[in-house]
Amino acid sequence: MSFDPKSASYLDSIEVVEVQRGPKPGGVGGAYRAFGETLRGLKTTMARLIEGPMTIEYPEEKTPVYPRFRGRHKLHKFEDTGLEKCVGCSLCAAACPADCIRVVAAENIPGDRVSAGERYAAVYEINLSRCIFCGYCEIACPFDAITMGHDYEMADYDRRDLIFTKEMLLAEPVERTPLKSEGE
Amino acid sequence: MSPAGREVTITIDGREVPAVEGEMLHDAARKGDVEIPYFCYEPKLGDPVGACRMCLVEIEGIPKLQTSCSTPVREGMVVHTRTEQVKEAQNSVVEFLLVNHPLDCPVCDKGGECPLQDISYGWGPGKSRVIDEKRHFEKPIELSPLVAIDRERCILCYRCVRFSQEVSEDAQLQLIERGDRTYVGTFDDRPYVAPFQGNITDICPVGALTNYTYRFRARPWDIEHAGSVCTICPSQCNVSFTVRDEKVKRVISRDNHEVDDGWLCDRGRYGFEMFDAPERVREPQLKGGAVSWEQALEAVAEGLRRAGGKVAAIAGDASNEEGFLLQRILRDALGSPHIDSRPSRGPKADVLRRLAEPNVSAKVRDIDEADAILVLGTDPLHSSPILDLRVRKAIRRNGAKLVVATERPTALDGGAEAIARYAPGQAAHFVGELASAIGGSDNVATPVAETLRDAGKVVVIWGERIAREDGAAEALLDVAAATNMSTTDGAGLLEIPDTTNARGLREAGCLPDAGPGLSDTTAGKSTEEIREALISGELTTLVLFGADPLRDFPDTPAWEEALTAADFVLTFSMHDNATTAKSDVVLPLETHAEKDGTVTHPDGRLQRVRPSASRPENVVPNILVLSELATKLGLDTGIDSQPTAFQALTNAVTLYNGIEDEQIGGRGLRWQDREGATSARTGTEQPGPGGPPEGGSPDTQRDAPISMVQPDPTPRGVASADPPSGGPSTAANGDLLLGTYRDLWAGPVTELNPPLKFLTPQQRVEISRTDAERLDLKSGDKVRVNGIEAEAHVKERVPAGVVFMAEGVSDGNANALLNGGPVQVKIEKLDEATA
Ligand code: SF4
Ligand code: SF4
Ligand code: SF4
Ligand code: SF4
Ligand code: FES
Repeated sequence: MSFDPKSASYLDSIEVVEVQRGPKPGGVGGAYRAFGETLRGLKTTMARLIEGPMTIEYPEEKTPVYPRFRGRHKLHKFEDTGLEKCVGCSLCAAACPADCIRVVAAENIPGDRVSAGERYAAVYEINLSRCIFCGYCEIACPFDAITMGHDYEMADYDRRDLIFTKEMLLAEPVERTPLKSEGE
Repeated sequence: MSPAGREVTITIDGREVPAVEGEMLHDAARKGDVEIPYFCYEPKLGDPVGACRMCLVEIEGIPKLQTSCSTPVREGMVVHTRTEQVKEAQNSVVEFLLVNHPLDCPVCDKGGECPLQDISYGWGPGKSRVIDEKRHFEKPIELSPLVAIDRERCILCYRCVRFSQEVSEDAQLQLIERGDRTYVGTFDDRPYVAPFQGNITDICPVGALTNYTYRFRARPWDIEHAGSVCTICPSQCNVSFTVRDEKVKRVISRDNHEVDDGWLCDRGRYGFEMFDAPERVREPQLKGGAVSWEQALEAVAEGLRRAGGKVAAIAGDASNEEGFLLQRILRDALGSPHIDSRPSRGPKADVLRRLAEPNVSAKVRDIDEADAILVLGTDPLHSSPILDLRVRKAIRRNGAKLVVATERPTALDGGAEAIARYAPGQAAHFVGELASAIGGSDNVATPVAETLRDAGKVVVIWGERIAREDGAAEALLDVAAATNMSTTDGAGLLEIPDTTNARGLREAGCLPDAGPGLSDTTAGKSTEEIREALISGELTTLVLFGADPLRDFPDTPAWEEALTAADFVLTFSMHDNATTAKSDVVLPLETHAEKDGTVTHPDGRLQRVRPSASRPENVVPNILVLSELATKLGLDTGIDSQPTAFQALTNAVTLYNGIEDEQIGGRGLRWQDREGATSARTGTEQPGPGGPPEGGSPDTQRDAPISMVQPDPTPRGVASADPPSGGPSTAANGDLLLGTYRDLWAGPVTELNPPLKFLTPQQRVEISRTDAERLDLKSGDKVRVNGIEAEAHVKERVPAGVVFMAEGVSDGNANALLNGGPVQVKIEKLDEATA
């Protein structure tokens, strides 16, 4: 067969496929279709309108979290003695998959105890910009010294400020996050 | 264990495992990759004791379970380590151990690297049925100022006690009381103070013994281990630095049987805080003020150029590469042959070459198998502590016969068959006599010689300082010939030099009369001559690389004068000291945790010091400083890194030709053990194996009396306190002969490391009872010795007519009294009022 595009046999050999197209835009039909679709959308809008606004006015208003929500960590003290529960054992640091906890322990001096055990955490830092909030640290801690709190407001202007020191973790967080109530 | 055991095959858990008859089943299993849990077994400590029962296994044909650590292997033994019966026993042993072991892991320093934790997890029942109160002790308490003990955690495995009784032989640790009240302690709760105590913290399988210097500093997952070599003393123990946040937090052993047998002395173990001491030189200093490297090197180049060849250099604490570069700068860039690496002087190069001959040198391991050991002119406990343990081990486990010939009583005297004491300054004479006594003559050295004659494998451990006396090294070679060392395998000489890398520096060419590889070269001045030349003005400029003459070299006043007289002094130093204060330019040195380079063990083993911790910001690798300096002086060394420096070194030093860095690896490589090792002697004739020279020392004109204390025939090696008949007769005016020694703890290491401060020695005058009575002195009296104030210390074993004082102590350094010859001292008693 020859491939001269002008030859009759070539043209005969081509199969012509017809393309299906939608109605031509414009015209009465077009105007009707556009209006119909808009009305269909508006139906949903109207239906929700009566439900009132869903927007949460953050930061004036906060989403309550579940009790087991894993937010910013807290370190704890014994209520009776005021001693720190953390003994600086570094088990949380070992468990942490993001490797964001740094513990440097030191020995308690009798008469000036910091924790109840032989040792205490002289340095306890969590780099919250690396934390993935998995909660392994809480599970690893043999003394329930560290727990995950509910606070999720940790944004800051400087990454260095996201390294939370022991003092910051021991202090009560200033902003409290509402908890979801039963059945909510 | 005899090394000539028969190869046998045993079956462990259905698998055939090759073994050597007589070795412990536990070792055979370990080699065959079968893990058997254990606590008390530690071959380093000697025979097994079977104290913990953790290693029980079932052996077919024996109804009861057996401890694999103390059961020797027999041909065809069939062993099971995982049967129900074994499991039950393992469970019970763990449960038993945990009856009294506190649940302390979170606060325990051992947590994470604790065999008890591992074994409880791996082989324990996981539950305890015991609800009773655990035993209680006061905890933690001080076992010593360096080690804390928590007796509640102790599982009574005996390891620490065995170390104290059978390895360091200080016998201070004991198990006290019985039953579950047993505890580890010392008599009367006295602090455990001994030079090797830190090792017990390494071997304790639980957290009962912990280092005060490391307690709670880090967890195993916070740290990195960095292998290096301790260069505080010539033992060059293999260490592993525990590094956290780029700082050294702990030093532990890296178990190299060829070097240290897995032990460390406390100097090396606790001497790491000095890396960060306030006295550390952290940047270049010009006339006391900090300057930039650029300015400092400019000033140095200028100062050295100005000297016009009248310059000398002394290397001390330096790696082979540094020493090599230093001698190149001196010889090739400055055209001066005056370089040395010894505190005062030493044998001539041809003698050194003969001493370096592979066939007369012993390696550390030869001590283990020696038939007789002579400790000559040194007290290993002070000069190379780890060899003290090695000699004790040879006597205890191999029945080696020890003889000691020194000026001053040594720590090894107790195990000696014969002891000879010669007067200070008489070493050469004594060694000469010894050589002829071994050959059959009858003289003062005969009792010592009798043990060595025909003894088989003789290892002579000798101190470099005897070779300061003319003829001593030659006489030593005669001793080597007389004991047939060159033809006996496992016999040889093993030097304990005065400085850590003395051998490496000599072989790298830091000698006045030998270049790299002990090759021939234009003769220059030795340390002592350099000092004289500086005073006389013949030399004007001095480079000190890791050397502190004002502390470590004899004759401090002359050195003061020399440093003052010098126009320009350049000192490379790790810490500020009296010498840096008198230097024009001070450049910082790296510590052995920061340095990258090789050092050579006294037995010829090249070892690699590796950078493990971060160096202070302005401390630059010393090899780079030296090569930069060479460039400034117009010498292109082509060296810009450790590998290039090592390459240049091995190319230049014939003994090291062809050694690759990989061959050195982590265990080191003795250049003598290499295929085709080059002999140290280049070009000189080889004297045949040759018999001993009959007829005495090469130094016969010096026939001064030598003091000879012979052991009583009955109790082994107890030196008699009687004044020896031929002793150095006290001079008519009552003056006494001064002998000096370097105390283990005398030196910056105790002053710069706060935990070791309590060990800092004070100057003491060790005096014999006879002389003390004559001078009406008792121990503790304050005396003045030629201007130095010290405390008298009456010692039974000091020969009459001699007193001993320590070198290197900060107050009253005995080096100030030395002047190269025999020194007579006058002892005045100070009244309480004047003192
Ligand atoms: S929550 Fe997870 S990632 Fe965050 S600190 Fe704890 S262990 Fe680390
Ligand atoms: S928080 Fe808990 S796990 Fe972490 S160091 Fe403190 S005691 Fe140990
Ligand atoms: S203190 Fe440690 S090494 Fe010593 S007996 Fe107890 S457990 Fe063993
Ligand atoms: S014996 Fe010497 S080399 Fe070994 S640890 Fe002690 S100081 Fe370091
Ligand atoms: S290891 Fe065998 S009894 Fe302790």
